[in-house]
Amino acid sequence: MKMKLTLGLAGLAALALASGLALPPHAPASPAPAADAAAPVAGTIVGMRRLTEAQYRNTIADAFGPEIRVAGRFEPIVRPVHELIASGARGSSLSPSGLEQFDAMARGIAAQVFGPDHRDQFVPCRPADATRPDAACARAALAPIARYLFRRPLTADEQALYVRMAGDATTRNGSFDKGLELALAAMLVSPRFLYVIETAEPDPAVPGGLRLDNRSRAARLSFMLWNTAPNPALLDAAEQGRLTDPAQLAAIAGRLVQSPRFEQGVRAFFADMLLFEKFDNMAKDPLVYPYFNQDVAQALPEQTLRTIVDHLLTRDGDYRDLFTTPHTYMTRSLGALYRVPVRRSQGWEPHAFAPGDDRAGLLGQAGFLAMYSHSGRSSPTLRGRAVRELLMCQPVPDPPPNVNFTAVQDVGDKAMPTARIRLDAHNTDPACTGCHLITDPIGLTLERFDGIGGFRPDENGTAIDISGGLDGAKFYGGSGLGQALAKSPDTTLCVASRALEYATGRSGEEVSPLVEDLDRIFATKGFGIRALFLQVATMPETWRVAPPSSHATAAATPGIAARR
Amino acid sequence: MPKRTFPLPRSGRLAIAASALLALGPVAPPLPMAAPAIGEDAPRALPAPPADGVMGFVVEQLVPPVIQGKDACPDGPALKIKDAFLAQLPPDERARLSLKANEPELTRRWHADIFGPNNTNICSQPDLFDRPLLRTVQSRQAWGLDLDSLGDDGCANEEFTSPHGQTGIDNQEYRVMGCTLEWRGVDGVQGDIASGTRQFHASGEWTQVILLRGVDSLQDDPEVDVIYANTPDRPMTDSTGRFLPGASFSISDKAPRHRNALKGRIANGVLTTQPQDIRLTQTWGQGGARDIRGNRTKYDYRKARLQLAFQPDGSVTGMLGGYRPVWDVIQSPSIGGPGAALVAGIDCAAVLKTLRKHADGLRDPATGQCTAVSSALQLRAVPAFVNDSPQGKTR
Repeated sequence: MKMKLTLGLAGLAALALASGLALPPHAPASPAPAADAAAPVAGTIVGMRRLTEAQYRNTIADAFGPEIRVAGRFEPIVRPVHELIASGARGSSLSPSGLEQFDAMARGIAAQVFGPDHRDQFVPCRPADATRPDAACARAALAPIARYLFRRPLTADEQALYVRMAGDATTRNGSFDKGLELALAAMLVSPRFLYVIETAEPDPAVPGGLRLDNRSRAARLSFMLWNTAPNPALLDAAEQGRLTDPAQLAAIAGRLVQSPRFEQGVRAFFADMLLFEKFDNMAKDPLVYPYFNQDVAQALPEQTLRTIVDHLLTRDGDYRDLFTTPHTYMTRSLGALYRVPVRRSQGWEPHAFAPGDDRAGLLGQAGFLAMYSHSGRSSPTLRGRAVRELLMCQPVPDPPPNVNFTAVQDVGDKAMPTARIRLDAHNTDPACTGCHLITDPIGLTLERFDGIGGFRPDENGTAIDISGGLDGAKFYGGSGLGQALAKSPDTTLCVASRALEYATGRSGEEVSPLVEDLDRIFATKGFGIRALFLQVATMPETWRVAPPSSHATAAATPGIAARR
Repeated sequence: MPKRTFPLPRSGRLAIAASALLALGPVAPPLPMAAPAIGEDAPRALPAPPADGVMGFVVEQLVPPVIQGKDACPDGPALKIKDAFLAQLPPDERARLSLKANEPELTRRWHADIFGPNNTNICSQPDLFDRPLLRTVQSRQAWGLDLDSLGDDGCANEEFTSPHGQTGIDNQEYRVMGCTLEWRGVDGVQGDIASGTRQFHASGEWTQVILLRGVDSLQDDPEVDVIYANTPDRPMTDSTGRFLPGASFSISDKAPRHRNALKGRIANGVLTTQPQDIRLTQTWGQGGARDIRGNRTKYDYRKARLQLAFQPDGSVTGMLGGYRPVWDVIQSPSIGGPGAALVAGIDCAAVLKTLRKHADGLRDPATGQCTAVSSALQLRAVPAFVNDSPQGKTR
């Protein structure tokens, strides 16, 4: 954790230099772990999380309107092995080329905001002379924007800096609006915007401990639940100190999870939990899978997210039933792949599978089935591994480097016509058997779906055996697998852990002591996603800065060490 | 055969573009042309009908069924305007004009055959031009349907026999057009019309769907309701251009829309509809920038019927047969105007004159002359989900 923080602050320093902005006086120039301090200091920086692409885009849209285009390439945040991108964001620095991209995007956004089509929305005053600096008017335009972007009011020094920056640019360009444009562009590459910098204060409940302060709570709440920057009402609540009051925090968080904008947060959470960034690189052989095209590729993650949102939010459903729900959504292109009728020529329409259909639940969806397949063939092993790792939080070891895949790759071998037969041959190697025993009995139940999730009754003319098992339970097909997962306690423990990791940016190891209690409360609330996130948002542990012992423990785990 | 046999616009540039489009065609390999399934034994292993009796299809192929080989056109293909001009010259003059050095003179002289007084031209006003008849199909074999077996008011004409031995085949359009390069092609496989038509059916411009209701058996069913209609939806295709089964389509509910409600029966695995006029639109460019000045054409088949055999893979193959007004056959190059003649070399006046000579249907009571030619199109359709238009009206 310490190393992550140092790397993050190195990036911060680089950005600060690049944007010509000094860190505010209350921020220490280097991290000060609580254990090293004689006494906790209010305002101590205790964490930094880089905005994800979606968070950046959502913030810009909220601040300036959806018509402002964000054009550019975002340097990806690296996902730590078996963890969330939300955790990776805590240790994510920026390369020079990544910063150049942010700079180009910032200039593009600023040019639109203070361009002729939009400037009247954001400049509440008329400069005395449109060709000369006007500090008062610049301050009036920039201060509200900065509060939104930095998630706090500007300090007097910062305000003076940006007003001076605007004035200098106005003098050089002979345009007041151009001056504002440059100042806004500078804000948009500031580390105060690109990173959520979390600061802490002494925790009255834990002598010597720290807890996130109100402003940091506002940001964490908003990004966790709405995946965007806090709105003015939430910032007001933070500035009034209401977010450290448990009752008021619960009331505010309750309103946030009941808002329609919680959908944005749920989408972001599951996109992170289910590794949706992999969709960007999914490729299929068009000769093997003619139904796979650009429309299908774009629709696959959206279908899964719509199913999740429909079940968990619209229907307020039980998380466990995500594995068995017959309800989903279709487009014309997906309908062809699923071989179901779709009435609407454009867009999405609801669809319900017949009772007992193997398509029911997330695992019967083409998105999951295609993602965990190869470009030209299905893969029971990849599918089984994904179930273990993504839905049950049970990491599966990588295959040894010298493994022989010949038997499983030859899908045209008439002597071994099905994946089950090929895997049986492959698993005669004892080095392979151990791992395959924990993945393949899961994945083989989905073998009637090919490498893009299309139904197939047989493989190479041979009937497909879809019997399988999970932790002692025996069943058939995707329908049986869905029911087994719905009954498994590991699925709810997993999503509870992921929710806590997502909120705090901590690793699974770090949050593990809290998960069983969280899962128990989750159960009492009917495994509703709103209840889960509300619980995460209101439990004091979410806001406590992890004690030094926790850091040490985390640093000693292989997963954490690997990140260094 | 589709109404727009030679889809060429009026301007030269567009004409070249359209010709290139047809010449290149889609990437799809040609489908077998020799066996439109009619006359074959009924397939033995047909799938069970759906529980609700509803079946949908999207038409992948609707092309003139040309029988390749040298028997049909022993004297070679029908001549283009330039070749027809040279053919009428004395040998010495023909040889002189064929020299490269004399190409400008040759061009000027054969182009003169295309234009008439008052800005008229051979394709826009073909009746004003007197041209020799086209070379026609000489063999006795053709694919098609026996359209006049029930007796009608047509004109006598020599009928064909199908390659499977069925007699009484009515397909005078094939007799007239079957030696043109656009139909026959130069490679012994298929002409540009097949690939070009297929492209229009794949684009949503001419795309058609078939919806069957009340199907109790694919083997024998005395009464089936058939909707044969246009859809604006673009079919999904594989990397070779073949239509993928299982996609959804909506019957068009915007003008010009055509939704033909037909009555049919299934006997021995073959669906046959009762004779009825069938109209299906041919939109050009979906009414947008590609729309050729708003011109639209249509398949206009009079006293028409579908004859489709169910296949074990779920598709249907067969024929659309009926009588086409002779003008329809040249409507596309007529819209193209001089471009069709100058660039594609189509002799619209000769085509129309020959069509009239062989017209065998829709006798005009006033003149006693027939005004339409018997016609047949080979049809293949793959399974699809077809959503009927909300109003369900025929227009």
